[in-house]
Amino acid sequence: MSNPMIEVEKLHKSFGQNEILKGITLTIEKGEKVVIIGPSGSGKSTLLRCLNYLELPTAGTVKINGEYFVEPGKKYNENHVAKLRTNIGMVFQRFNLFPTMTALENVMAALTKVRQKSTTEARQIATRYLEKVGLADRMNHYPSQLSGGQQQRIAIARSLAMEPEAMLFDEATSALDPELVGEVLNVIRELAEEGMTMVLVTHEMSFAQEVGDRVIFMDDGLIIESGSPDQLFRNPQHDRTKTFLQRLKH
Amino acid sequence: MNLHFPTAFQELTPQLLKALGVVASLTLAGFALALVIAMLIALGRLSQSRFLDRILIVFLEIVRGTPLLVQLLYVYYVLPELIKLIMRIWIPDYQLTISAFTAGVIGLGINYGCYMSEVIRSSIAAIDKGQTEAALALGYTNRQAMWNIVIPQSFRISLPTLANYFIMMIKDTSLVAFITLQEIILTTQSYASQTFLTIESYTLAALAYLILSIPLGQGVRILERRLNRHV
Ligand SMILES: Nc1ncnc2c1ncn2[C@@H]1O[C@H](COP(=O)(O)OP(=O)(O)OP(=O)(O)O)[C@@H](O)[C@H]1O
Ligand SMILES: [Mg+2]
Repeated sequence: MSNPMIEVEKLHKSFGQNEILKGITLTIEKGEKVVIIGPSGSGKSTLLRCLNYLELPTAGTVKINGEYFVEPGKKYNENHVAKLRTNIGMVFQRFNLFPTMTALENVMAALTKVRQKSTTEARQIATRYLEKVGLADRMNHYPSQLSGGQQQRIAIARSLAMEPEAMLFDEATSALDPELVGEVLNVIRELAEEGMTMVLVTHEMSFAQEVGDRVIFMDDGLIIESGSPDQLFRNPQHDRTKTFLQRLKH
Repeated sequence: MNLHFPTAFQELTPQLLKALGVVASLTLAGFALALVIAMLIALGRLSQSRFLDRILIVFLEIVRGTPLLVQLLYVYYVLPELIKLIMRIWIPDYQLTISAFTAGVIGLGINYGCYMSEVIRSSIAAIDKGQTEAALALGYTNRQAMWNIVIPQSFRISLPTLANYFIMMIKDTSLVAFITLQEIILTTQSYASQTFLTIESYTLAALAYLILSIPLGQGVRILERRLNRHV
């Protein structure tokens, strides 16, 4: 029997009267790369944020590696949620590096605070991941001294250093100047090749096609259609998907 | 009219130095208490509880709506009486006196705590929510994210303002003269009334405050520049 990485069942999310997610059921296997596309406001970010419980679902469940964030009928337990979150890294559109810490300190912070590693060990691990994203030479720089692309690579290193089993990317390159997009995509691509489970929200359709095992089209809080990149991009089944892809071409 | 600065300087300075010590310890203790109160109020107001927020707002209105002098008088003269009144329900001959110094610390601590809570609250609110989210996504608990990520950053924002409050408090310790604490003003007053060296005495008193506040003010400006280096 397969043992999925992420299982989402009948997920609903409302903000006040506004229902943003209207019943999402989704299973993501280990090592799978899932790309979520869809028009602005369709709920892509909200869904991604529910996957690590940054957003609390109004109804439905999310399981990571077979473990519920909040078991049905049970109460929200902050420590348990925090612990599960260490299994999934998240990369934000706006990087969200800690501005008062150097690159190295950014990557070390959670290793000492959350993983309880010694400073020496945390520094070793952090250095390794900074090397991985090609920024070991910038480890003593502050975020304000780095380009957007470098900041995002530091943010990726910060997530990876926790050694998560899956990574969530919410438009990781859309805040970047065009010439800096490539260096970040390269890091993500390399990660994909190493077999990391990934969920990506992106507007980079060619990248989606390249790394995605499965593409999900969302509209108005629902999964309209999902399939292999080839299938979804070349031969979309639903009108809404067709319209969306059509509009992208212009 | 003859001025006698050398005489006044010789006789009053030793007393003023002692008073300066009182002012320094009063300010340090008062400011420490103010910081604790400010932090508690700020966190209370940022908590989920609407009820707590309402109560704290009422408390803030009362403190900010009355003069510091009235609060000092109240803490020194009224508060012990009130506590006695209540305690005597259980312990018939309950006694309580508080020193002018303690009353000064409490009065200054509460008053400044209220004003400083707004500084701290707004500096915490000014931190991008993305900072907390990044920390939570890394597995921090809410409390850890608050204390390790948000508060240190907000502290940088509020530090210069808080330091200015510290300097203001030094000056406001002069009001504690009204509840009999031998600080700079009361010391000066008694010397001036004995010697009639009014101009000399009060000039020296003013200088005593400046000795503290000018270097500290410079310090705050340097601090501000250093804190803004990377942000
Ligand atoms: N915290 C919130 N409070 C209220 N409404 C929210 C909140 N977060 C998101 N929304 C609303 O939910 C809807 C979906 O937002 P979401 O960010 O998930 O869309 P998206 O598909 O990621 O869009 P985009 O492509 O523009 O990033 C939007 O209408 C947004 O205004
Ligand atoms: Mg979004």
